[in-house]
Amino acid sequence: MRMNRAVLGGILLIILEYGLVPWLIPPAWSGRLMPHLAFVLMIYVAAFGGRHSGFFYGIGFGLIMDVLNYGSMIGPYAFGMGLAGYLGGLALERRPPALAGMMLATAVSSLGLSHMIYLIYRLFSLTSWSYAFAFYWNILPTMLLETLIALAFYIPVRRFLLKSVPSPPEEPAS
Amino acid sequence: MRNKRLFILMIGLIVFIAVMGFTLGRTRLTWPEKFLSDTFGTLQGILYRPASAVSDFIGDLSRLSAIQKENELLRQTVAQYAREQVRYNLIEAENERLKKELGFKERQERLYKYRYLIAQVVGRSSNPFDPTIRINLGARDGIKPQMAVTTSDGLVGLVSQVSEFTSTVEPITVLSATTGQGVQIAATILGKEKDSFGIIESYDPETGMLQLTKIDENDPMAPGDTVITSGLGNVYPRGIIIGTVVDRQVGDFGLTEKANVLPAARFDQLQEVFVIVVPDVDAP
Repeated sequence: MRMNRAVLGGILLIILEYGLVPWLIPPAWSGRLMPHLAFVLMIYVAAFGGRHSGFFYGIGFGLIMDVLNYGSMIGPYAFGMGLAGYLGGLALERRPPALAGMMLATAVSSLGLSHMIYLIYRLFSLTSWSYAFAFYWNILPTMLLETLIALAFYIPVRRFLLKSVPSPPEEPAS
Repeated sequence: MRNKRLFILMIGLIVFIAVMGFTLGRTRLTWPEKFLSDTFGTLQGILYRPASAVSDFIGDLSRLSAIQKENELLRQTVAQYAREQVRYNLIEAENERLKKELGFKERQERLYKYRYLIAQVVGRSSNPFDPTIRINLGARDGIKPQMAVTTSDGLVGLVSQVSEFTSTVEPITVLSATTGQGVQIAATILGKEKDSFGIIESYDPETGMLQLTKIDENDPMAPGDTVITSGLGNVYPRGIIIGTVVDRQVGDFGLTEKANVLPAARFDQLQEVFVIVVPDVDAP
């Protein structure tokens, strides 16, 4: 798996996420729906590159997202994405799943990351949203949107990240 | 060592909780953070503004007839303002004359001359609990933390962190009574500044309304009034429009009343904001 391309793609996705995605989301949903494009790419990196790649990729891009989002503190996204990258890599590295498995993995990881961020903010008493409110207001729609984004990314990312495998020579007919 | 992974997880948890604790309350940024903010801010700006122009264009196409009516209305309003400008000039000249006659010191004269710096929005955060906005003015343009930020509609928030070329704005939608986020706004009503007073304490994301609390029972506030900042509290400059009163009811403990205020500014797809620079009256 080509890590240089993964990092380059991640930086491009972060620029898109902060500069372009706010215009694509309708105003009524703008506080609710916040897809993390670099996070979706990280799940693919964890699946194709293994758990260590996923872990360091997650921490690196989590730190970038934390500094760009720096409203109250630095740390939640770095920790959450590092953990999600490691666990995703642990679950997926042996046999990278096909389309449906990948989307299931993205849905579960997205739920995990959103819950982790919410719980960290509750721990430091920086938000007053109740759990039920946070779930239906933000966590659930974001998970559905990120699963759709993973679906859209599947073929381009496979071609972008994986070295192509040469097909074996054909056997002569007996 | 057998449980190496769990050990590393525990160490990582401790390290991260320490990092989160250290970065929790500070406003000054170290240079790597400033560098990252500025780099990404500039790159995002290249993308954000054309996208906003395209979005505007498509929005305009779909409301062409409404725009024509709006145009007509705006023409009439401008004509009315041109007429009122004459009256305003006369009143202002008289005000200056009366102030001189009363012998106002120069300090008080400079107090309410605010400077409005226009800033472009280059991006917004993708963290639902920290909905900050990034603007393209920074320390080299004279921005300092805790300056008020508004649009032409109303108050948006305060500047929270400043890098060299960009700054971060914390909107008033993070105000909450239970957590310590945001700075509470001392507010009054336009037209009833001597009689009305309240404090905007929190924002409810579900209804999209600000809560104005600690209103006296005999307060002459009514639904439909315009809420403005009162300048008391020395954080928000006075006279900035916040929103309109929607309703009014008895407060939490029965001693005071509270009201719901619909914010006048929009917080989502912003393109340009004004940063208000209050002159430093104590400087030589």
